[in-house]
Amino acid sequence: MRHLVDGDALVLMGAALCPATPLLHPAVTGRAVVLPELRAACACAVKQLLTGEPDTVVVIGPAAATGQWDPFGRLDPSVFAPGLPATGHKLLPPALGLGAFLLDQAGYTGRRHLQAVGDDEPVGACVRLGRRLSGTGTKSAVLVMGDGSARRTMKAPGYLDERASAFDAEVERAVRAGDLGALQRLDQRLAHDLMATGRPAWQVLSGAWPGPGHDAEVLYCDAPFGVGYLVAYLRPPAAFIPPRAMYRPGCGANSEHSAE
Amino acid sequence: MSAAAPGGSREPRPTGVLRLGRREFPPGQLVVMAIVNRTPDSFYRPGVTWDPAAALERVHEVVADGADIVDVGGVPARPGDEVDANEEIRRTIPFIAAVREAYPELIISVDTWRHEVGREACAVGADLLNDTWGGWDPRLVEVAAQAGIGVVCSHAGRLPPRTRPFRVSYDDVVSDVLNVTLSLASRAVAVGVEPDRILIDPAHDFGKNTWHSLEITRRLGELVATGWPVLVSVSNKDFVGETLDAPVDDRLAGTLATTAVCAWLGARVFRAHHVRETRHVLGTISVIRGDVPPARVVRGLA
Repeated sequence: MRHLVDGDALVLMGAALCPATPLLHPAVTGRAVVLPELRAACACAVKQLLTGEPDTVVVIGPAAATGQWDPFGRLDPSVFAPGLPATGHKLLPPALGLGAFLLDQAGYTGRRHLQAVGDDEPVGACVRLGRRLSGTGTKSAVLVMGDGSARRTMKAPGYLDERASAFDAEVERAVRAGDLGALQRLDQRLAHDLMATGRPAWQVLSGAWPGPGHDAEVLYCDAPFGVGYLVAYLRPPAAFIPPRAMYRPGCGANSEHSAE
Repeated sequence: MSAAAPGGSREPRPTGVLRLGRREFPPGQLVVMAIVNRTPDSFYRPGVTWDPAAALERVHEVVADGADIVDVGGVPARPGDEVDANEEIRRTIPFIAAVREAYPELIISVDTWRHEVGREACAVGADLLNDTWGGWDPRLVEVAAQAGIGVVCSHAGRLPPRTRPFRVSYDDVVSDVLNVTLSLASRAVAVGVEPDRILIDPAHDFGKNTWHSLEITRRLGELVATGWPVLVSVSNKDFVGETLDAPVDDRLAGTLATTAVCAWLGARVFRAHHVRETRHVLGTISVIRGDVPPARVVRGLA
């Protein structure tokens, strides 16, 4: 395994979008099975991502600062749930750690590139980072760990902000419509105010995406605890994918879960 | 104290599974024993389950509330009208048979010191003999051994059954509790009781004043360290009442606080009137100890 370096070029096989909520990890939620539909949707998105047998999975997740992390790193659930045994792995920022966890769950053992993007990274830097990650040559897939607003309801972590639903709806629209360019127009200040922590990761994805248009399968879109969770699997336009790596159906009859 | 010679084995026993009836309880799985009195005159809510139908209704309730064991007693611990073995049998045995029929898997304990009662109880399906008076009748444990069931080895402070402590003093009450209960446990093993079916009980308030009961609570870890599963019976007892200056119907909080301390210190079986509340206390302590994960955690993690 090696780190990806500048100049390595990628052909994006596809992208999976998953929320970076610790609730995905069963060790931190106690005896109950929490949000089984969300967990199943994430597992499905990642499974589809791996169907094309990428040789590298790039995990993009928001963190305190932009940077590349040890691909052998893992989430240590005990940072959320002290009392659990520590894993002994190198710690990752939670969003990347949860992405690594999803890859582990899917049985992925191939090359990983764990890319943090700073919470305050402006759109231009995000898009440039995305472009650096994209190109031609290597068969890669992208797992984007990002959340919508944490101010969707009165019981939400950040309380209700009336603008939150529209913000999340625009992200959902862009994903469904194959209009990832629209993600570059997400307002950084508004996203910050709405506690929409996925904003920089989605803008990196926008920069990495090989062209306009894609097929989207939205597997989950809801805010069960007042935080916008969007799970989707995206395929680039056929012209951008080498024929042998074309999408093959993944999770069967996994129906879309939709909110409210 | 007739049965227990001082000086049971002080070699700690590895903490292991507790077997009662067909059930197994690993360390860390806390067990609730619900009190079901077949008496007209027990200290807490006297006579409430004197009627057989009311007693069976009580069993339905405690099972629904999460009791693992019912402890059936036909003679109050306190002095009072004579209850001979025949009367004790009349009070308890048909009832135990009815409980066994209604709940084939429920663990049934019998609170008795008499081997005659124990023998009859075994015949109708009892799983545990709760020898609260500390081996007063040395044949009781032999009955348990013959029937292949369990026994509780208690410290009653060398008092005969149904007597109150009178100016009791100890050099060290915990040492005495250890001596007596470990001797009884050794004897139980010697007569053939399966070791995994033996519990020890410091027997709060039995042969003890309030200071003594508080001391064995505080130092319960010394009993736990023996490796024998520890049963505690603190529910609504006088040491709780004297601690709080609370009458018998106002001791629930004190009972539950004591229960929590005992659970924290490693007791495994809890004899209780208030099963649901006790379950909640034990559920909380198990989680705080880290023996069991919380039921469902989402707050702050969304």
